Amino acid sequence: MDSKLRSLEEAAETVADGSTIAIGGLSMNAAPMAFVRALARRKVKDLTLVAIVHGMPIEWLVAAGCVRTVVSGLVSLEGFGLAPRFRAAVQAGQVEIEEYSEHTLICRLQAAAYRIPYMPTKAGLGTDMLALHPDTTREQHDALSGEPYVACTPLPVDVAIVHAEAADTRGNVRVDPKLVWMDSELVKAAARTIVTVERIVPEASFRAEPHRTTYPRFTVDTVVEAPWGAYPTSCFPRYGYDGDFFREYVAAHTDPAAAQAFWDDRIAGPETHAAFLDANGGPRTLLSIARRTT
Amino acid sequence: MSERYTIDELMVTTLAREFTNDTRAFNGAVSFVPVCAYLLARRTHAPDLVWAASSIAIDADPKSIPESTLSDGLWDGASMLANSAYDFWAYAQNRRYNTFAFRGAQMDACGNVNNTVIGPYESPKVRLPGGGGMADLSCMIPLIYLWSTTHDPRTFVERLDFRSGIGWGDGGDHRERLGLPGGPQLCVTNLCVFEFHPDTKRMQIRSLHPGVTAEQVIESTGFALPASDGDVPVTGEPTDEELRILREEVDPTGARLREFR
Repeated sequence: MDSKLRSLEEAAETVADGSTIAIGGLSMNAAPMAFVRALARRKVKDLTLVAIVHGMPIEWLVAAGCVRTVVSGLVSLEGFGLAPRFRAAVQAGQVEIEEYSEHTLICRLQAAAYRIPYMPTKAGLGTDMLALHPDTTREQHDALSGEPYVACTPLPVDVAIVHAEAADTRGNVRVDPKLVWMDSELVKAAARTIVTVERIVPEASFRAEPHRTTYPRFTVDTVVEAPWGAYPTSCFPRYGYDGDFFREYVAAHTDPAAAQAFWDDRIAGPETHAAFLDANGGPRTLLSIARRTT
Repeated sequence: MSERYTIDELMVTTLAREFTNDTRAFNGAVSFVPVCAYLLARRTHAPDLVWAASSIAIDADPKSIPESTLSDGLWDGASMLANSAYDFWAYAQNRRYNTFAFRGAQMDACGNVNNTVIGPYESPKVRLPGGGGMADLSCMIPLIYLWSTTHDPRTFVERLDFRSGIGWGDGGDHRERLGLPGGPQLCVTNLCVFEFHPDTKRMQIRSLHPGVTAEQVIESTGFALPASDGDVPVTGEPTDEELRILREEVDPTGARLREFR
């Protein structure tokens, strides 16, 4: 039986230049950051990055020069501030932003997942969003009732990358306690899926509690063990986001030299995932963000 | 303004008083003011109000509000974590959720909002975070509440650089023609409360915050406001009990002040 288990670096090697990749999680939550870091270090080029609502993963891939186009509904670091690298790159014309409203983007992924010509929604009517990309979000009228709606065409994704609690080496994946974000839609839309997990468990663990399985093995191509793999975003209910990281990241970007030092020392420089965690405070930081699970 | 309270507290209590036991709300990113208002309303006069923290955590009861209103730090005490792809978007589209509050960098007289770009989309002067779910939820949810902590002519403009979310659209019956439910109910700013004219659907002053004059609001607004007939009401001040609950129970760390920098 072939194992789907790979290292972060091996998995990152499988993402080709020019691919369309979709990043799971949302905003401060459950982004596959260890994998994003591996991609940034590999300096993959010309990615189209689908990130429904995100901040830090877009920042890192833009900073590393990996991205040609960002497809997203909202890019920010929330209460910590705007996304500095992303904003500068878009304003300088280095990166293109293809903005969709959140739901029309989800509808496009669902149309791709179900292999149907379009998904209908009322979302976006009367706004300027539809005119940004009339080929993919079209205002139409229902043939019988005449009611206006928006037809969202399929958005094909080459690789979906999501972070989860546990997997076995065959590719069964468990999101624990429960999937809350849009990751399932990315996995269904994508030709290939890479999952990073907090821990590898035996297949027997899935057979013992099949009702807790989130993605079956035939939908998952590659599994990577990456404990604390969502850091500095959160992995509910194991750990929260690291507020200090976000604060210090934003503060460093008021000065180009400080931003470069932050990038080298705390993001791109460390050779391994463990070294990266150490560069950001190691066990002391991790214990401070660990959530009590009772 | 009184020394008893600050503008953030006045805005939160003003918004909170609009909500009832029939309010079924959720929140998106950087929504400290409405999150405080939902929690305050639930603790004062609307115990049955539904609020899904980050659109996920139903009936959450956080001990404090974190730096992100889209994070699990807001979920403590929830009775259910709803799934985004299926639960949330279904409840939004079938109007199980009926209340949505949003804001943006620009707002026009009909309550349409821009949070996408300043300047042309292709070569923006300022790239803003983006509309997120604004374009979606402003089409799906009947009771829309707007707020702004920066009431000035750069925010309240006659013409948006980009319409990221729809208020009353082009005014009049535009929403109805698009088959969209309800529309914006009011807009709470740091100077006043705007309501919408029943026919034109353009903003007009409903009440002025204590100490603010109509002239001040007119000067701070980039679109024309109708001349008011007679005395304009003054926005009701927070009670001591509302202030205590907001300061001690709802938002003891002052997360809402992130919107007032």
